[in-house]
Amino acid sequence: MENEEKVMTGEESLKIISEMINKTKFDIRQGSFYLLFWGWLIFACSLSEFLLLKFTDVIHHYYVWLLVIPGVFVSMLYGFITGRKAKVRTYTGMLYMWIWLGFFISATVLFIVHSKSMYTVAPYILLMAGLPTFISGFLIRFKPLIAGGICFWVITLVIYFVGPVSYSLGTSVAMLFGYLIPGYMLKNRVDHDAV
Amino acid sequence: MTRFKELDPILHSQLRLAVMSLLIGIEMAEFTYLREQTGATAGNLSIQITKLKEAGYIEVTKKFRNNYPQTLCNITKFGRLKFTEYVNDLKDYLSPEKPG
Repeated sequence: MENEEKVMTGEESLKIISEMINKTKFDIRQGSFYLLFWGWLIFACSLSEFLLLKFTDVIHHYYVWLLVIPGVFVSMLYGFITGRKAKVRTYTGMLYMWIWLGFFISATVLFIVHSKSMYTVAPYILLMAGLPTFISGFLIRFKPLIAGGICFWVITLVIYFVGPVSYSLGTSVAMLFGYLIPGYMLKNRVDHDAV
Repeated sequence: MTRFKELDPILHSQLRLAVMSLLIGIEMAEFTYLREQTGATAGNLSIQITKLKEAGYIEVTKKFRNNYPQTLCNITKFGRLKFTEYVNDLKDYLSPEKPG
């Protein structure tokens, strides 16, 4: 694009506009990292808790959830590093970040409010996780993530009616359908697009 | 005979239009990003960015990151308005209404 004073036709102008606008789409790679990271972390915690409850007599089975704390730091570090490296800040990317940050703050408040009855938190967390997942799916126009958000809401209803005995296994299933499957599909799409 | 509104000369230039089209969809972009996406040389891009800045279409912020200078560009409210006008004029130009 050197000869900037060359006379353009209307069609050429439109072509430049549409080509350039297409280049500024939100980089969805960041989305797949968070989905896979948190998907595996929560899946591991919830499944471990389920196995501890089912097959052992461990009293403090909920200690496995302490893994979430380093998880928060890893997430923050990743966000900080990628944010500093980024040469562009898209509106979709910013919206994506604020939605998930809002969810994180809501979840933290919920944990504080329910600190004395932590075992009752799971349905509320899954209910809240459904919203950013659902909206993110629309933001990046990715149907598996929209379906993932809906899965969170369906599983919330199921575990609510089945009762606390189903909370940890329900959370594992929710992570599988809500984060991990859409996360890998998103990653594959990014890798495929990059070829 | 249909009369066309003259297309904005600031925007009716390949590189300036490309820069504005990139900036319209994003909050902020680095100079190097604009250079990569447009494929322009640094010198030419710098000249066109200055023209857009002087016309009030974009804002240019200079910062330092890890001791390296960093030039950030973002579209202004006025620039957004002019871009919208340009696209509307272009639409009229490409598909003029037939006189009734």
